[in-house]
Amino acid sequence: MKKLFTVKNTQIWKSIFRHGPPEDRRNRSLAVLANVFLHLHPVKVRSSSIRLRYTWCMGGLTFFLFLVLTVTGILLMFYYRPTVEYAYGDIIDLREQVPLGAMREIHRWGAHAMVISVWLHMFRVFMTGSYKPPREFNWVVGVLLLVLTLLLSFTGYLLPWDQLAMWAVTVGSNMARATPLMGTEGPGTALLVLGDVKLVHAGNDARFFLLAGRFVGAATLLRFYVLHCIAIPFVASILMAVHFWRIRKDGGISGPL
Amino acid sequence: MWNVGSFLRVEKGFQMAEKSDSKPEITRRGFLSWVRAGWIAFTAAAATGSLSAFRFMFPNVLFEPPQIFKAGFPSEYADGMVDTRWKEKFRVWIVREGNLIYALRSVCTHLGCTPNWLSTEEKFKCPCHGSGFYISGINFEGPAPRPLERVRISLAEDGQILIDQTQIFQQEKGQWSNPESFLII
Amino acid sequence: MIDSLKELINSISSPSFFLTLSIILLGVSLYFKQFWTRRSLGIAAAISGGLFLFSVTDENFREIVAKPDNLPIIALLFLVGFFTWLSLHLAFDNDRRKAAGEPILEKQETLPKTFVWPDLVYIEFIALIVCTVVLIVWSVLLKAPIEEPANPADSPPSTKAPWYFLGLQEMLVYFDPWIAGVVIPSIIVLGLMAIPYIDRDVKGSGYYSFRERRPQILVFLFGFSILWVFLIILGTFFRGPNWNFFGPYEFWDVHKVVLMNNVNLSEFIWVRGMGIGLPRNWLVREIFGIVLLLGYFAVPPYLLARGWFRSYYEKLGINRYLLMMFLLLSMLALPIKMYLLWIFNLKYIVSIPEYFFNI
Ligand code: HEM
Repeated sequence: MKKLFTVKNTQIWKSIFRHGPPEDRRNRSLAVLANVFLHLHPVKVRSSSIRLRYTWCMGGLTFFLFLVLTVTGILLMFYYRPTVEYAYGDIIDLREQVPLGAMREIHRWGAHAMVISVWLHMFRVFMTGSYKPPREFNWVVGVLLLVLTLLLSFTGYLLPWDQLAMWAVTVGSNMARATPLMGTEGPGTALLVLGDVKLVHAGNDARFFLLAGRFVGAATLLRFYVLHCIAIPFVASILMAVHFWRIRKDGGISGPL
Repeated sequence: MWNVGSFLRVEKGFQMAEKSDSKPEITRRGFLSWVRAGWIAFTAAAATGSLSAFRFMFPNVLFEPPQIFKAGFPSEYADGMVDTRWKEKFRVWIVREGNLIYALRSVCTHLGCTPNWLSTEEKFKCPCHGSGFYISGINFEGPAPRPLERVRISLAEDGQILIDQTQIFQQEKGQWSNPESFLII
Repeated sequence: MIDSLKELINSISSPSFFLTLSIILLGVSLYFKQFWTRRSLGIAAAISGGLFLFSVTDENFREIVAKPDNLPIIALLFLVGFFTWLSLHLAFDNDRRKAAGEPILEKQETLPKTFVWPDLVYIEFIALIVCTVVLIVWSVLLKAPIEEPANPADSPPSTKAPWYFLGLQEMLVYFDPWIAGVVIPSIIVLGLMAIPYIDRDVKGSGYYSFRERRPQILVFLFGFSILWVFLIILGTFFRGPNWNFFGPYEFWDVHKVVLMNNVNLSEFIWVRGMGIGLPRNWLVREIFGIVLLLGYFAVPPYLLARGWFRSYYEKLGINRYLLMMFLLLSMLALPIKMYLLWIFNLKYIVSIPEYFFNI
């Protein structure tokens, strides 16, 4: 105890934590206000709305899983190469050659868990009527986050480059061919012709845009890799910042009037 | 100074403050036309930028098997058989019925899986959602909304069969009567 | 004995059976509030646990359920079940409190506000640790699977979309890709976004309640737990090779043959009804389907606005009312089309393959 006390008296400790132990009102406020991470929260919250039975902590868990996936994803990126020659082998190596190697497992199961937790979070928000004014916009941001979560998962699905990956993405992306007016087999696309020339064909339609090719191939793998590792997490992070900011600006987590 | 109201008033077409001295000064109207030009230029630049970013996502060069290839001599194909030797590389089957030869794309018209030719059951069966097609390519079961597609087939100068996948013939559009969609030998 | 029981379960299992069953179950359970007590949770857990244990002894069942990738879906099943129970348990509890004039659960705190440090931070911290432990144990115990390397020439016999899209894949049985893959997902996403702009009543915000929000909760539960989660369960555990349906104890035979002779509405009317052939012109051919479809989206909103839904119409105004009706009818279109296919073998209501336009 004495030791700890001396640590807390050093210049180093004091340079990091600029307030006393969070045991009184002032220092509890400072504990939140002076910390860049904690100050996502307000100093005080409605008692009823932080009950586990009220929020189920689902939004928080979703965010936590996102962080876990970011960390494990970065680790996987050190070894995984997104090319047709190497991708499958790299995954096999990650799976079999790494001592204590649960990195791929944590990433994969965490991704499944995040999809479930984001649905349950939405379910909770709906059941408590928390989408109602003034929280309409945050609900919309939430729906976008839901879509991004699914897209993250979907783009990641291709990366192992096994049969499951290739055919799930083939089937999934084939639906883009049927986009009205923008896919080769979409309703109405046949009307978009200049004389004899089809304006929208397999070489420039919505599916081609998605896959960077006519089939799921090398270009698709690279494209999904970039989407999965950079583009979608980037957009999702921004939207999460908006989501959290809005929770506070809309009056904190909801509660009865 | 400016305020929104004065912007609007000038926009609506009229009225300038009179200049009291002769020093060459930026007039309000002059300034606004600069703003307008600047705004247009900015919009154009932003639009061009977005367009080029969009276009950027469509690759110019594809690393896929060529669309046109030679498939050997007609005599190599047996009557009443579906030939699967090109399926792996080029995703087409070549079918011969009597003296009629045609090439079907091995892409299911439902969601683009690769069907299999089941020779005992005499049908193409898609493993993904169970669509079935007769040897002619006509769909008869499962969710596939239309028959398989034929691709262009012709004889090259050396007598070999020439398959050109850039051109597709759809039965439901009546294109199978097009002489380029089959070969009579 | 057990075998013939399994046989029986296999033979009555079908998508139509399960869907009907789950709709009835949802309706009945919401009608009786006794369903949402602790005791019935215990009973439900015991029944489903027992059923599960009984089934796991079956080889065919075990083979599918024990796939590592299916574990999250079993978790999903139980989690959605549990959280549906929890939210309705709290909701009915609050309804009872309100009726008895007691304060609702969310208003019982002694202090209306509390400090984030330590009260919230500690909850978060504990949740985080529990989550980490679960995830790591799960990851150490269960290897993430990998299959054969990708081969574009060889579709494996059961190609499934990722599990969270299996609901959409099931819809592909009833709708063409442009509807199941493009239109329905867009309507789901836009419809979800539209919810707070249709249901703007601030009453019922911030606490669990069933009585005050009955229609909303009914619609949402129907859409979420049946049309989304239930279809995922169906797609995972009951759809085998070739997307054929298999009973819970049935072997997933790649060569199972299912006759599918589905007929378009136009053929029903022109060929079977009137005995003349299909007209050449597609507009004439499909005119009945087109009228039916337009009528489906136009007539009910009109009639309901003057009847049962009058109060909504007056409260929401024409735009919001029409938006709500469009979303509701789109949602109902899915089960309607499913039953039409099961009962009449109806394939398309409007079928214009010339323009890839099939509904
Ligand atoms: C990546 C996905 C998401 C993350 C990380 C996230 C995170 C959070 C967190 C931490 C909260 C605080 C309360 C709680 O934990 O329940 C919250 C609240 C909220 N979320 Fe999300 N969320 C996500 C997705 C969604 C989705 C899909 C929706 C709805 C469609 C949504 C709508 C809301 C709303 C309306 C609130 C305010 C609730 C209230 O005040 O009671 N969020 N979110």
